[in-house]
Amino acid sequence: MSTIPRAYLLNRLLTLFLTVFIAATLIWIIPRLSPVDPAEIMLGRMAAGAGAVADSEAILAQLRQNFGLDDPLFVQYLKYLWNTVTFNFGLSTATFPTPVSALIAQALPWTLGLMILSLIITFFIGNLLGALMVWEKSPKLVRVAIPAAMVFTSIPPILSGLLLMWIFAAKLRWFPLTGAYGLTVEPGWSWDFAVSVMHHGFLPALSIVIVTFGFWALGMRGLMITVQGEDYVTLAKAKGLRPRYILYKYMIRNAILPQITAFALKVGLLIAGQVLVERIFAYNGMGKLLYDAILDQDFPVIQGVSFVIILMTALSVFIVDLIYPFIDPRIRHEVTS
Amino acid sequence: MSALSITDLSIDFPTTKGVVHAVTGLSLAVARGRRVGFIGESGSGKTTTALAVMQMLAEPGKVAGGSITLGETDMLSLNEEEMRKARLSRVSYIPQGAMNSLNPIMRIEDQLWDGITAHEGTTDREQLKARSDEVLESVGMPARVGQLYPHELSGGMKQRVCIALGVILTPDLIIADEPTSALDVVTQRHVMQTLKDVQDKIGAGLILIGHDMGLMAQSVDELAVLKDGVLVEHGDSRQIIENPQHPYTQELISSVPLVGGDSFLDAEVGAPPINRGEPGVPLLEFKSVSKTYGNVTALQPMSFALDGEVPKIISIVGQSGSGKSTMGSLMLGFNPPSTGQVLFEGQDIAKMNAAQSLEFRKQVQAVFQDPYACFNPFYRVNHALKFPFKQFGYATSEAQVQEKMEEACRAVGLDPSLVLGRYPHQLSGGQRQRLIVARALMLSPKLLIADEPVSMVDASLRATILKNIYDLKDRYGISILYITHDLATAYHVSDYVIVLYQGHVAEAGPPQEVIGNPKHEYTRLLIDSIPWPDLDRSWGTPSTAAEDAERLDRLARDNKTEFRGSVSGFDLELS
Repeated sequence: MSTIPRAYLLNRLLTLFLTVFIAATLIWIIPRLSPVDPAEIMLGRMAAGAGAVADSEAILAQLRQNFGLDDPLFVQYLKYLWNTVTFNFGLSTATFPTPVSALIAQALPWTLGLMILSLIITFFIGNLLGALMVWEKSPKLVRVAIPAAMVFTSIPPILSGLLLMWIFAAKLRWFPLTGAYGLTVEPGWSWDFAVSVMHHGFLPALSIVIVTFGFWALGMRGLMITVQGEDYVTLAKAKGLRPRYILYKYMIRNAILPQITAFALKVGLLIAGQVLVERIFAYNGMGKLLYDAILDQDFPVIQGVSFVIILMTALSVFIVDLIYPFIDPRIRHEVTS
Repeated sequence: MSALSITDLSIDFPTTKGVVHAVTGLSLAVARGRRVGFIGESGSGKTTTALAVMQMLAEPGKVAGGSITLGETDMLSLNEEEMRKARLSRVSYIPQGAMNSLNPIMRIEDQLWDGITAHEGTTDREQLKARSDEVLESVGMPARVGQLYPHELSGGMKQRVCIALGVILTPDLIIADEPTSALDVVTQRHVMQTLKDVQDKIGAGLILIGHDMGLMAQSVDELAVLKDGVLVEHGDSRQIIENPQHPYTQELISSVPLVGGDSFLDAEVGAPPINRGEPGVPLLEFKSVSKTYGNVTALQPMSFALDGEVPKIISIVGQSGSGKSTMGSLMLGFNPPSTGQVLFEGQDIAKMNAAQSLEFRKQVQAVFQDPYACFNPFYRVNHALKFPFKQFGYATSEAQVQEKMEEACRAVGLDPSLVLGRYPHQLSGGQRQRLIVARALMLSPKLLIADEPVSMVDASLRATILKNIYDLKDRYGISILYITHDLATAYHVSDYVIVLYQGHVAEAGPPQEVIGNPKHEYTRLLIDSIPWPDLDRSWGTPSTAAEDAERLDRLARDNKTEFRGSVSGFDLELS
């Protein structure tokens, strides 16, 4: 194994930094194209709660000042950049005055746990099934059953989620209906809590797996068909290698390479969560946070969540860039200007 | 004792349109230590027969009758696991596409080891390492090659690895399926010598599949000629080459173009050459053009002017990596030169405006190596013919386009009713390549760049396609740049030959001089490497590879050029 050359590492880091910078700028610009004034929304919310607000002009001015909305755009932008670097996304306007970073810190572990775990499970199941669809030694049943199972992929997650809830939670009562952990356990590093989390996470994870494995299976199937026709697979057979060895070392090992890139891109996207899945199961993750923030026009939260998504995507692509040469010897750590 | 005996073998491919009889009633034996050549066109059943021995027929192929016996074993009665064990240990296979026959993500030695492990169960690294080093050495490669990945090897080295793999378990029979078809002549000679050498050492029988009569003559003891799945002639190779009985064998032998031999071109020339150039302005001009990639010289600085007044064929020959295709892409404007200018009718092709550029594309057409990759598989071939014709504004009506297409097809010897309206995959390689020539003809360009136009076509068809290309010059006044590694065809078709070695011109002049009587050592090496269909002509010994390497090494150090006379209308200058 070679090590990663410093020039390559710097080059990738620069790319990472630029991506995040450009994305952060876009996140800042886009909401500002909206004609809605967040201060007015807050005022509206107060008014809705109290019936009427006295001295509303003064309060509006005060709010604008608090949120820095009076500053010139350029100053707002610079402040925003600095805050972004320090992970200070300001205060949520909807749940004023909670800091956005606190909201994210609360939601992120749940999403990371649920989504990444289900992504990894889906990745393995999907790719394995996709490979088995092509492998000539697969039992006939497998080759018929998998395409049939693909039907689930076309079911909208909201429907499959509800269906799972109805069968396993409402009827069979094997799993809890909603929430991320039981109300009776104390959150913390305890065995009871861990069991509760897993118990609660099972159905949402299953619904995500069911809905998304087809993406991997179909992609893998296409890649495997190409690899199956390669001369090295023919020669592997002529070498009298065992069929399973050929499947893993010659076919899957080569076909999986583009899927790993896709995996990296998915990691970032999944941080946004399966919004609907989180909604249905009342799972307090990033998806639900983002969903609520959009409904409430809560700019700071939208910005914060979007930034985290981009940071995760860029980071996972960065990591794949670094490890790819180790999994595919044809790719080298090379700096291409 | 026979290593392999095949009796009355028939292989069928049942399809929805009926059963295709790929091989019918084939009987043949391969003795231990003997080399038997299977020769025939693509589709003649030679590879199918070999794959049947290994029970590796492509779906839906089936052995319909007869028997295959390897030593004492009835191969057709083996179950799957027994067959798996017989592969590599008793019968090994050296595939055609050496470029892609090795797993790209595994080191070479791992791919030698897994073969041993699958048959003997050995997983002891030291033992495996000792065996892989030994077998690599037997094919003339240092042990460190084992540590490399396939993409780090040249085509010739990859093919040697495949040979090493083929002999690592000392099988009774080796099947080599066109093992050198992707290699240039010099490498081909080395690889074939290695193969013969290791086969001799282990005493296995060898089946060599191919379509090149010269290569067969120099490599095998017996020849089996197949046509449409039937063995039409079988016997001692000297006897068959010197006194072929079957008309098809005679055709195969006579279709090999030879340096200095009879021309395969029609002696009588049709119309007198048409003057299509503009007086005083060269058709194509290189002004101190060079191409470098980093510090690698792909093409040394050179200047030439090709006058279009009298059409000519200029051949550019050399091994892979000699810079010949770089020259082609420079001429087509696909690749900007590092220095100098490429001019077409006095106009720098890098500085053309849109209208000039369109005119340039109209006047300069290309024929490439792979006739399949040149067609969009989703369209009928008509599209490929029609589209540029319409695009360049030649079309006046649908009927005229149709008529033009039919005329072009007939001009290259194709029956329009059989090829037009079909999809590329429904046509043979030869038909496709002729259609590409027909397309060029429809546009009636002034210049045609033909980059290895026949290297992927069966030997028996090469002469026909080259004849088509040659006709373009004589009948239609098109000047041609013929890029090839095949000196024999260059000898016959060209007016002037440039031999390139590592981006440098080794020898240049009229073909009778350069190829007929080479002065430069590199040209001589290329000519020595051609396998002749003549058993009395030596094709070198196992030590040739080392000598050649020394010769090439010496050549790399002095870049001297032999100028062997000139032809009017083409001036070459090196700077």
